[in-house]
Amino acid sequence: MNKLVYLVPLFPLAGFLINGLLRKSLSKGIIGFIGSAAILASFVVSLVLFFQVKGSGAAIPVEPLFTFINADTFKIDFAFQVDQLSSLFLLIITGVGFLIHVYSAAYMHEEPEQHVGRYFAYLNLFVFSMLLLVMGANYVIMFIGWEGVGLCSYLLIGYWFKNNDYNYAAKKAFIMNRIGDLGFLLAVFWLLSKLGTVSFNEVFPQVSRLTPTDITGITVLLFVGAMGKSAQIPLYTWLPDAMAGPTPVSALIHAATMVTAGIYMVARSNALYSLSEVAQHLVAIVGIATALLSATIAIKQNDIKKVLAYSTVSQLGYMFLGLGVGAYTGAVFHVMTHAFFKALLFLGAGSVIHAMHHEQDIRNMGGLKKHLPATHWTFLLACIAISGIPPFSGFFSKDEILAAAYAHSPVYWVLGVIGAAMTAFYMFRLYATTFLGQFRGTHEQEHHLHESPKAMTIPLIILAVLSVIGGMVGVPEVLGGHHELHAFLAPVLTTETHHEISHSTEYALMGISVAVAAVAIFIAVSKYSKKPELGEPAGFGKVLADKWYIDELYNNIIVKPLGALAGVLKNVVEKSGIDGAVNGVGRFVKYSARQLRLLQSGQVGGYILFMVLSIVVLFLLFWNQAMITQFLNKIF
Amino acid sequence: MDSLQLQALLPFIVLASASVVIILLIAARQSHTVIQITGFLMMCLVVLAMWYVRDVLPRAIMPLLVVDGMAAVFTGLIVFCVLIIGLFSFIYFEEREENPKEYYILIFLGTLGAAVLTISRHFISVFIGLELLSISLYALIAYLRNRNNAVEAGMKYLVLAAMSSAFLLFGMALIYMDTGSMDFDGIAKQLQTQGHSPALFVTGIGLMMVAVCFKLALVPFHLWAADVYQGAPVPVTNFIATVSKIGVFAVLVRFAQAVQLQSYHFAVIIISFVAIVSMVGGNLLAIKQQNIKRLLAYSSIAHLGYLLVAFLPGNAAGIEAGMFYLFAYSITLLAAFGIVTMLSGRQADADQLEAYRGLYWRNPLMGAILTVALLSLAGIPLTAGFIGKFAVLNAGVQQQLWLPVIVLVITSVIGLYYYLRIISTLFAETQVIFPKEKSLHPLFVAGTYGALLVLLILLLGAGIFPSAVIDGIKNFLCQGFRIINF
Repeated sequence: MNKLVYLVPLFPLAGFLINGLLRKSLSKGIIGFIGSAAILASFVVSLVLFFQVKGSGAAIPVEPLFTFINADTFKIDFAFQVDQLSSLFLLIITGVGFLIHVYSAAYMHEEPEQHVGRYFAYLNLFVFSMLLLVMGANYVIMFIGWEGVGLCSYLLIGYWFKNNDYNYAAKKAFIMNRIGDLGFLLAVFWLLSKLGTVSFNEVFPQVSRLTPTDITGITVLLFVGAMGKSAQIPLYTWLPDAMAGPTPVSALIHAATMVTAGIYMVARSNALYSLSEVAQHLVAIVGIATALLSATIAIKQNDIKKVLAYSTVSQLGYMFLGLGVGAYTGAVFHVMTHAFFKALLFLGAGSVIHAMHHEQDIRNMGGLKKHLPATHWTFLLACIAISGIPPFSGFFSKDEILAAAYAHSPVYWVLGVIGAAMTAFYMFRLYATTFLGQFRGTHEQEHHLHESPKAMTIPLIILAVLSVIGGMVGVPEVLGGHHELHAFLAPVLTTETHHEISHSTEYALMGISVAVAAVAIFIAVSKYSKKPELGEPAGFGKVLADKWYIDELYNNIIVKPLGALAGVLKNVVEKSGIDGAVNGVGRFVKYSARQLRLLQSGQVGGYILFMVLSIVVLFLLFWNQAMITQFLNKIF
Repeated sequence: MDSLQLQALLPFIVLASASVVIILLIAARQSHTVIQITGFLMMCLVVLAMWYVRDVLPRAIMPLLVVDGMAAVFTGLIVFCVLIIGLFSFIYFEEREENPKEYYILIFLGTLGAAVLTISRHFISVFIGLELLSISLYALIAYLRNRNNAVEAGMKYLVLAAMSSAFLLFGMALIYMDTGSMDFDGIAKQLQTQGHSPALFVTGIGLMMVAVCFKLALVPFHLWAADVYQGAPVPVTNFIATVSKIGVFAVLVRFAQAVQLQSYHFAVIIISFVAIVSMVGGNLLAIKQQNIKRLLAYSSIAHLGYLLVAFLPGNAAGIEAGMFYLFAYSITLLAAFGIVTMLSGRQADADQLEAYRGLYWRNPLMGAILTVALLSLAGIPLTAGFIGKFAVLNAGVQQQLWLPVIVLVITSVIGLYYYLRIISTLFAETQVIFPKEKSLHPLFVAGTYGALLVLLILLLGAGIFPSAVIDGIKNFLCQGFRIINF
C-alpha cells in the first residue's frame, strides 16, 4: 500500500477545481502559479515513484480506492497501478506538462483574467485525465481517462470559442475520437464477456483462455480506439485541425498527453497483440502508411503549426510501426524522445508566433535567426533530433524501430527510411524558411520582433537539453551502450525479436538512414534558405498542399450523405410521421376527455341512470364471461 | 369477552369515547381551541392504545370482529390521517363564521366507522361500520351550509350512497340466502362444500361490488366524486379521499381473502374491467380540469384504479403492494389537500388553478411541498408514489396481468400531463398581489407547517428508503392474517 500514488492525480485535480471555481476572483499570476505548481508537485511525486519502481524492479502495490461497478458476474475496482511502463509515462506527462504550463503562464498573459482561469483549469484537467489513463489498473479506468482527454482536447481546441472555425475543429476532434472510442468500448465489452474481468493483472495471465478469433477481434477493436486517439489513418484528420487551440495546448496534445494514449494502450496490451499476427500486421501497415502519407503532406504546408502537426501524425506512425513489429520498447522510447523534441518544436513555434504577433504563415517570416536567438538555436536542435542525426535523441529511438522493422521485413525498413528522409526534408524546409534568409514580413512586424520572455525561453532550453541527451538512456549494444530503458521495461513488455540481425547489418542500416537524412537536410537547407517557395503550389504540389483531398473525400462520402439522411428524417419522417402520431394521440386524448366530461352533468337523476346502466352492463359482462374469456385469450 | 379481547378493542373504544368527550365539552361551552386540542389529545390517546394492542394480536371477537396485523396497519393509517386532518381543520374552520364545534364529533364518528370496517369479519359489522361512516359524511359534506355547493353535494351523496347501500344489503342478502352465513369464514366454508359458484352467490358478489366501487369512487360509479369533493369543506374532502377509502379497501381485502374472491373468474373480470375504466376515465376527466379539488377527485379515481391492479393478483405481493400504495396515496393527498387548506380564504376555498399561479415565488415551502406531492401522484422517482406504483406494477407483472398493467402505464403518462401542468403553474411568473390574510393562532400555524413538513419527509423518505415501510407492512401482515396464494 503506497498512498503516494494517489497524490499524483490528486494535485492536478485540485488545481483544476481551484482554478475552475475561483477563476473570477484569482489574478492571472496566481492562476498560472497554481496550475504550474500542481503539475510540478505531481512531477516530484512521480519522480519518487519512478525511483521506487526502478529500485525494487517491481510494480508498486496499490490498494483499490473503491469498487466502481459491482454486478453479479463481474466487479470493477477503481484502482491504480504503477509499474515500469506507467511510471515512465508519468514522468513524461508531468515533466513535459510542467514545462508547458510554465510556458503557458507567459504565453497567455494577454488573455482576459477569467479566460486564463478557464484555460489553466482545462489544462490541469487534461493532465489529470491523462494520469488517470496511464495509472488505471484496468481498461475501464483507462477508458475514463481516455474519455477525459478527449473532452479536454475538445474544450481546449475550442478555447477561443468565438471563432466558429475553431469550434468546428474542436467538434471534429471530438467526433473523430468518439469513433475510435466506440472500438475501444467494444473491445472492453468483448473482454468482459469472455474473461469476466478487465483488470490488467487478471487479463494478461489468462490470455490463453481466449480463442485466436477473440484475440484478433479485441486487439483490432482496441487499435480502432488507438487510431482515433493517436491520429492514424483513417481517423487522423482531426489532429492537424487541432492546432486551432493556443499553441501550448498543441504542445500538450502532441507531446505529453492525448496522442501518446494510443501508443500506451497498445504497449500496455502487448501480451494480447503479441498473440495476433493479423493485428500486428494491421498496426504496422497502418503505422507506416500514416507515416508516409502525412510526411508527404507536411512537405507542402506553409502554416508553421500545420507542418508540425503532420509531423506528429507521421512520427506516431513510426511508433505504431514499432508496436506492429514487436519493438514495444522502441515505440515507448520514441514516445519519450518525441515528447521532448515535439514539445520543443511547438513551444518554439509558439515563441515565433508570439514574436510575429500571431502570424503563422512561414512565407511571411524568414531571417528570424538574429531576432530570436534562443528560439532559433533550440528549434534547430529539435529539428536535428527529429531528423535522426546521431547522437541526438531521435536517432536512437527511430533507429531502434527501423532495425526492428528490418528484422520483420526489409520493405518496412525501406519505407521507413523514405519517411525519415521526408521528415528531415520538411523539418529543415520549415527551419530554413522561418529562420534563414531575409525577413519577409511587414515593416511593423519587423519593428516589434523580440525574443520571448524568460518564462518561455527557459522551458525551451530545458527541452532542448533533453532533446539532445534524452537518447542516452537507450543506446543500443552495437554502439557500446546497455540500453537501460530496455532493461527497465523488460518486466512489463514482451521480449522483442529484432536482435537477430547481425551487428554489421545494423551498422549498415544506421549508416544508410543517417546518410539519407543528412542528404535530405542538405537539399532542404540549400534550396530554401535563399529562395523559399512563396507562391501557391501548383501541380502535384497542390495535391499535397491540399492534403490529398482527404477531408473533402470524408465530407463527400460520409458527412454529406449523413446530412442528407438526417434532413429526410427531420423534415419528412419526424414532421409527418412521429410528430403527427404523437400530436394525434394527444388530440385524441383531449377529444375523449371532452366527451367524457359530458357525463358529469351535475344532475343526480342522470347519475342514477348512469349507475343503473353500468350495473346492467357489468352483469351482462360476467354472465357472458365465457365469451369474453375467449376474446381475451385471443388477444393475449 | 375476556380482558385480552377488551385490550384489543381499546383503540376503538377510545375513538368512540372521543366523540362523547367532545359532546360534553360542547355542552360545557368550551371554545374551539379547547375542543381542537382535546380532540388532538384523544387521537394521541388512540395511538397510545394501539401501542398496547400490538402484543395481543391477533385477537378475534366472535362473531363480528377480528383485530389482526392487517387491521392494525389500516387502522394506524386511518388514525394518522385523522390526526393530520384534525390539525388542518382548525386553521380551516377558525376562519369561517359557522360554529365548527360539532364538526369534530362527526369526524370522530366517521373515523370510528372506517376503523370498524378494518376489523370486520361479518356482514353486520361491515354494514354498521359503513353506515356510521356514510351518515357522518352526509353531515360533514354539507357542514358549511351557507356555501354554494355544500348542501347540493351533501344531498347528492345522500341519494347516491343510499342507493349503493341498498345494493350492498341486497347483495348480502343473496349471499346469505345461498350460503346461510353472514360470517366471512362461514361463507367460505359453505362455498368449499358446495364446490361450484352458484348464480345467487355470483349475483350477490356483483351487487356488493357495486357498493364497494361506489364507496371507492371507481368508474362507472364515480359520478358523485367530483361534485362532492368540490362541495365539501377541504378537510372533509381530504377525509373522504383518504380515510373512507382506506376503510372500504380494508374490508374488501379481508372479504376477498376469506372467500378467495380472485379465484372466481367472473370476479376477476369485473375487477379488471372496473380497474381499467377507472384508470382511463379518471385520467381523461382530469385533463381539462381547472378546479383543483375536482382535479384531485378525478386523480383519486385513477389512483383507486391503480390500487385495484394490486388487488387483482390476490397474493401476498399484491396485498403488500396495495397497502404500500394506499400509504403513499394517503400521505400524498394529505399533503396536497393540506396546501389547499392553507391557501383557502374566508370566503371560498382555493380551488381554482389560478390561485396557485406563482405559488412557489410567494411561498417557496408550500410550493415545494405541493410540487413533491404532485410528483408523487404522477409517480416520479424519489417520491413515495413512484415506489407505490412500482410495487403495483411488479405485482401485476408477476401475475401476468398484461392488459391492466399496460393500461396502467399508458394512463400514467396521461396523468403526468395534468400534474405537470399544475406544477408549471406553480412556477409561473405572476403579477397578481394576493392580500395578506389575518394571521391565525401562531401555535396552530406552526403545527400545520410541522404536519406538512412531516408529510414531505415521509413522501421523500418512503421514496428513497421504501424498505423500512415495506418491512413494517410485511411484519404486521404475518401477525395472524392468513394470505392464501393461488
